[in-house]
Amino acid sequence: MKRSLRMAVAPVMGALLLTGVAAPSLAEPTFSSEQVALMASGCANCHGTDGRLVGSVPTIAGRPAAVLETRLLAFKHGEPGDTTIMDRIAKGFTDEELAALAGHFAAIDPVDKDDSNNAQEPQE
Amino acid sequence: MTKHLQRSGINRRQLIKGLGAASLLPLVGGVTPFAIGGENAGKVVVVGGGFGGATAAKYLKRANPAIEVILVEPAETFYTCPFSNLHLGGLRSMDAIAHGYDELKDRYGVRVIHATAEDVDATAHTVRLSTGSDLEYDRLVLSPGIDIRWNALEGYDEAAAEKAPHAWKAGSQTEILRAQLKAMDDGGTFVMVAPDNPFRCPPGPYERASLVANYLSQYKPKSKVLILDAKDNFSKQGLFMEGWERLYGDRIEWVGLSNDGRVTRVDAERLEVETEFGTVHRADVLNVIPPQKAGWIAERAGVTDDSGWVPVKPETFESQQVEDIYVIGDATVAAPMPKSGFCANAQAKVVAAAIAASLESRPAPEAYWTNTCYSLVGPEYGISVAGVYRVQDGVIAEVEGSGGVSPMDAPDATRALEAEYAVGWYNAICQDTWGTQA
Repeated sequence: MKRSLRMAVAPVMGALLLTGVAAPSLAEPTFSSEQVALMASGCANCHGTDGRLVGSVPTIAGRPAAVLETRLLAFKHGEPGDTTIMDRIAKGFTDEELAALAGHFAAIDPVDKDDSNNAQEPQE
Repeated sequence: MTKHLQRSGINRRQLIKGLGAASLLPLVGGVTPFAIGGENAGKVVVVGGGFGGATAAKYLKRANPAIEVILVEPAETFYTCPFSNLHLGGLRSMDAIAHGYDELKDRYGVRVIHATAEDVDATAHTVRLSTGSDLEYDRLVLSPGIDIRWNALEGYDEAAAEKAPHAWKAGSQTEILRAQLKAMDDGGTFVMVAPDNPFRCPPGPYERASLVANYLSQYKPKSKVLILDAKDNFSKQGLFMEGWERLYGDRIEWVGLSNDGRVTRVDAERLEVETEFGTVHRADVLNVIPPQKAGWIAERAGVTDDSGWVPVKPETFESQQVEDIYVIGDATVAAPMPKSGFCANAQAKVVAAAIAASLESRPAPEAYWTNTCYSLVGPEYGISVAGVYRVQDGVIAEVEGSGGVSPMDAPDATRALEAEYAVGWYNAICQDTWGTQA
């Protein structure tokens, strides 16, 4: 996988502002923000948009990056234990990608401030 | 050259080439959403408001709110195929699988038009609606789902589907089949005709058989389920069969291709089906899941091939046949990704990112897709399959070592946990797609 030529830090602020994220994580500069956002969007199907959903599947938004990264690496490399499915999914990503995902979700405010009352006008 | 470049008055692709793409890219990526508003950011029409289309509309707006996004979907309320088997089994109301478009409209500023897309003029870049008006587009996303191949199975046409419902598009078909099952006398046989690959939701027929059996075991204990299958293997087969034996004994009988399971003729009036080698089976309730193809508008747009499905460029899901048309979901040829709502949602995000990039003349980010699919063998007995996919050597491939199905011989607690996660999965993907939770 060649990623060294991809856009690095510059677009991060713009993209994160769009998704309403306050503190960008620049811990993993080898992936563009666009790239990480696309990778992370694959988590939303079970964890809700931006990883914020509260339910039987754990919320991942706003959890410390180190905690998330440790968990993801354990799912990937460790003995299958306290998970039913994340071990199968984590094996599809490199360690660097898992670290970038951990940073991405750690930087998201678990409270969705844009929800409902803050709705924008439809653009006709 | 596409229309949006002509309309915007300045040919940005040329400009970028002239200045050197590399030096300009970070600037474009960071500034464009705010610096360029309205029509200059591009106009995208999305046809189909299911898992693929609704997600594409939402994630296009998340990628760049300045892109004008129009979603065309005839229904104001969308009923999901996932969890429609729970309705058939009496475990969930139709309201609890119903979703709408308020979040797309109110939060993301998507213009939602409740009409049918009837034709596509790829040269003019327009979509003809059932209202008679034409929509222009710079990029078109088709997420048309499946259509039934009427009469591909002898005797199975639209009239037959009223008597022997397919229920493979959720809604009135689901309700007909549920009503028939409820009205069936105890001691009756629920016969399901299962199709050959490829078809929408590979584990779906077997989850349906499971939840019908669960209902029968409680309310009509002398009744049976017979599955007549046009193939010899099916999704999560070992897990389903293990679960059937455990929960339902011999209530479910599965007859595969090699044992004359392939149905070649349907008589919906008499509720009879005939197999390849002439065996006639009589049903009390007959559920025919027939051969399928890409939703009709895909044919009109010229993106289908001889198979009836849509070949796409793996990196972006742009049509291989028609420029500026992107296709997602069950309509596409995306194997080894299955035709699942989850994959449609995952493909929609790749398409949204690819289109947002292409409207700014940037290369698309590298595509990733995941699939996570739960099936309920019983209300407290869940099983799953997962996969992670990337483009490798120009084709979509499952990442080696990732994915796979739940373990065999797992303890009850694991099955119960996966049943719980199945509900969490449903809530999450519906929230991610429509912003609604049932």
